[in-house]
Amino acid sequence: MKSSEPLTPVTAYTRRRSRAVRSLVLLVLFALVWTGFWLLGASAPQRFEDDVEHFKYGSIGSDNAERGLPYWIFTVLPEVFPEHLPPGGKGYEAFGLLVEPGRDRPVGFSKRRVFGIDLLGLNCALCHTSVVRDDPGTEPRLVVGMPANTVDLQGLFQFIFRCAGDGRFTEANLLAAIEGHVDLNFIERILYRIAIARFRETVLAQRDKLEYWNDIPAFGPGRVDTFGPYATLLFGMGVDGLIGTSDFPSLWNQNPRVGMELHWDGNNDSVEERNRSASIGAGNTPESMDEESLARLAEWIGDLPPPPLPAERVDRSKVDLGRTLFGKHCANCHAFDGERVGKVEPLANVGTDPHRTDAFTVELAKQMNTLGEGYPWKFTRFKTTDGYANQPLDGIWARAPYLHNGSVPTLWDLLLDPDERPKTFYRGDASYDWENVGFRSDRPKDEERRLFLFDTTLPGNGNGGHLYGVDLEPESKRALVEYMKTL
Amino acid sequence: MEAVRSPNAERHEEDRDQIFQPLSFRSGLRVKNRLFRSSISGTFDEYNGHGTHARLNWEESFARGGIGAIISSFVPVTVRGRILPRYATIDDDDKIPFWREVGRRVHAHDCRFLLQLSHSGRQQDVGGVENLYRVARSSTSKKDYFHGILSQAMSRGEIGQIVQLFADGAERAQKAGLDGVELHGANGYLLTQFLSSGINDRVDEYGGGVEGRARFVLEIVRAIRKRVGSGFHLQMKINAVDHNSWLYPWEKAGNRLEETLKICTILEDDGAGVDAFHVSSGSTFPHPRNPPGDFPVGEAPLWYDVMLSSGVRTGLNQRIFKNRFLASLFRKFWLWRRGKVIEGINAEYARDIRNHVNVPVVCTGGFQHAHVIADVIRRGWCDGVTIARPLIANRDLPKILEQANGPEPSKECTYCNKCLLNDLENPLGCYELSRYDGATFEERYANMMRSVMSVFEPPAFGPKAESGPEPAAAEIAEKGRAR
Ligand SMILES: Cc1cc2nc3c(=O)[nH]c(=O)nc-3n(C[C@H](O)[C@H](O)[C@H](O)COP(=O)(O)O)c2cc1C
Ligand code: SF4
Repeated sequence: MKSSEPLTPVTAYTRRRSRAVRSLVLLVLFALVWTGFWLLGASAPQRFEDDVEHFKYGSIGSDNAERGLPYWIFTVLPEVFPEHLPPGGKGYEAFGLLVEPGRDRPVGFSKRRVFGIDLLGLNCALCHTSVVRDDPGTEPRLVVGMPANTVDLQGLFQFIFRCAGDGRFTEANLLAAIEGHVDLNFIERILYRIAIARFRETVLAQRDKLEYWNDIPAFGPGRVDTFGPYATLLFGMGVDGLIGTSDFPSLWNQNPRVGMELHWDGNNDSVEERNRSASIGAGNTPESMDEESLARLAEWIGDLPPPPLPAERVDRSKVDLGRTLFGKHCANCHAFDGERVGKVEPLANVGTDPHRTDAFTVELAKQMNTLGEGYPWKFTRFKTTDGYANQPLDGIWARAPYLHNGSVPTLWDLLLDPDERPKTFYRGDASYDWENVGFRSDRPKDEERRLFLFDTTLPGNGNGGHLYGVDLEPESKRALVEYMKTL
Repeated sequence: MEAVRSPNAERHEEDRDQIFQPLSFRSGLRVKNRLFRSSISGTFDEYNGHGTHARLNWEESFARGGIGAIISSFVPVTVRGRILPRYATIDDDDKIPFWREVGRRVHAHDCRFLLQLSHSGRQQDVGGVENLYRVARSSTSKKDYFHGILSQAMSRGEIGQIVQLFADGAERAQKAGLDGVELHGANGYLLTQFLSSGINDRVDEYGGGVEGRARFVLEIVRAIRKRVGSGFHLQMKINAVDHNSWLYPWEKAGNRLEETLKICTILEDDGAGVDAFHVSSGSTFPHPRNPPGDFPVGEAPLWYDVMLSSGVRTGLNQRIFKNRFLASLFRKFWLWRRGKVIEGINAEYARDIRNHVNVPVVCTGGFQHAHVIADVIRRGWCDGVTIARPLIANRDLPKILEQANGPEPSKECTYCNKCLLNDLENPLGCYELSRYDGATFEERYANMMRSVMSVFEPPAFGPKAESGPEPAAAEIAEKGRAR
């Protein structure tokens, strides 16, 4: 047939229809494949080449469907509910979260797409990374592995609780805010509607289980009640009268800690159990644990060196004396080769605030040892103690404030008689006091945000005990402090 | 149908007298009994519409069987309005001689012959090569929903032309010496497409209410009357009820009986209009109600293929027919849509129409037994009945009915509708194997073929061609002289 001959009307119609059907089928196929890819394909956990990047932003498995925070919901909360932020605060920086330039999320959050929704998961860096401002007026620098001195975890959560409990936390309001940032497609809009409703429900349920927070002194930045939430959220236990609030610890040098009694109260002597239990605190479930990532991080923190204190800040002339004094008065408990290092010091000896060790009860230890049922790593090593573990002092300068509950702002203060130690001081300042070794604690606001007034008279916040070295001469104390800068 | 008297041998004479009473119409048409052969076509003719000796044989066979009048096959008034090729047409004066010969053959048996003036509209099963590049014309541009035959609404100009084509056709029938014409206004063809509220979606004066929709047919009636006068019989085959949503429930239901009654009044045109009504039902052809019977799932996939290139839903239908499961579902659906009654399926509709109009009414649908036919006439539901398939099965059915209540049970038309499906590709005849004598399949089949092919006997040429084509040839010569 010559191409110039017309088609019969029926042929023309059926061809048009076939073309339409074909395009429709293609379109549907494409949409299916696309949706499939998009729903399932993109859910690989995020990894970074660089160990530090991976530590700060990589996944440990907590960005899972069950406990991950939908990225866009999390992101728009401060703009939808500015009134629930601390006065004057803008974004999550108001809670001391660290936001590096060019990043779509604060340090300590991994991001992963699950069922078409970007989820955030908490990772180790959230509580174990911080900033130090070397001199007034300079930019703070980031130090990984360091206790998150500025991060007010409780403030952050309570902010989210307040948002979710607000009448304006509706699908329409949240979606409108989200669509101010991204164009959602039809499916995403549906998914977000579901996610928003679910988010509200789960957050409010968590809020109710963490009600006890209102009955105990606020954590303030740099601190957390580690085990209380396990008790209430995971095991449905009551925690009446228990106050387990304590400082975030540092993460470096884990290899030399193998075999030590870990956690402030020394309630577990397995580095692996300690790591896994912390990752559960961050949002992992036994199934969701990203074994590869956890192993990689464990290896990395195994020999991560502590950050050196800048050499020019040390008065070398005093270091030798300090070393001698340290050897005499401290090393037995606090040097890696000390006899009592990594062992629990009974309360009767150390005399510090008892609440933290008391809060870890026999029942809770029992419950902790049920975690991981059916997994080769099932917990077995949790136990109660009657004191606090003697810590090696590597990188001690970056671990201020001191004592397990962070009740003493500087090393110098710790060498004072408890009566002379500051009764109240401000926590969360990034500026460093190189002379006394600790963060500045004398002002209600630093360059970025309002700080937290820490009151040592409140239960759990006591700054007494640990009388070691308080009787030394001031000169000796100075020498000791100078030496400890070098640890 | 309610309350049909059961067959009663003792009362057969009474029934016979009822049936074999003459029927007269005001047009002057007089039929010797109350039995009409309803239209049945058969693709026997020349491709371009010239009649053949096979059709002469065909029509004569019914006349010989004793029928009072024959209503011709679907006779297109133009090739654009054909439903299948090889149906004799009346689109040109050059067809007159053939129809005259048909009349001559039939009249020889004291049988009247009415020519069914027809136009397919969009219900054009196979348009033929002449129409390959043409989209069928209709009242609507919506395609036919059964086969998906494409359609385009006619302009006023086209409507006027077609009115004239019908008038031309009537005039030719008259010139051919036939006894009258019937307008094919039923079963979904062009006139139905205008009359039906389920199909006609026009917004001009040819659509809308009953009057608008009937305007086209009324114009045809008037145009015909103008040409042929009041002495030439003109009757209208009409759907009492359209049942237009039989296949797809979302289609509009079409005309209800009340609307049809109004249409009938309009077409009577105060006494100047039609001389009789022929009552059918169902706005498509075929339709579960017409021809009422079975859906032959075995035949459908064999013969429906000829329609594949005609519409845009034929492929879908054929896939259904070819799939044994779907086909059997379709058959069940078909039977359910038909209902229980076959014989006299339209009789009550005929009653209502006859009560309403001032002219005689004949009724189609399943008639095969004397007691049923006599009963509907006796009750005054209709004045006569038209019969199609039972006559295909038994050409001498009138003679049988004179003697008995009906054919022997093994020889009855089973309403299997195999003839209908075969008509698409094969010579029309009775294809119900079980009706044929023979001990084996082969014998029965051979007998069936003999019966079906008998329409070609005697052949046009040869020793048996007693009443061959000479008269027709003579007509042509006569026409040639007239020019
Ligand atoms: C094969 C076949 C062809 C038909 N062709 C026509 C036709 O051309 N015009 C018409 O009005 N009816 C036609 N009909 C319908 C019949 O005329 C008749 O109305 C219908 O079959 C019901 O009558 P019956 O039960 O006696 O067969 C046809 C029916 C069959 C079976
Ligand atoms: S094929 Fe024969 S038996 Fe079947 S409906 Fe047609 S005429 Fe009747």
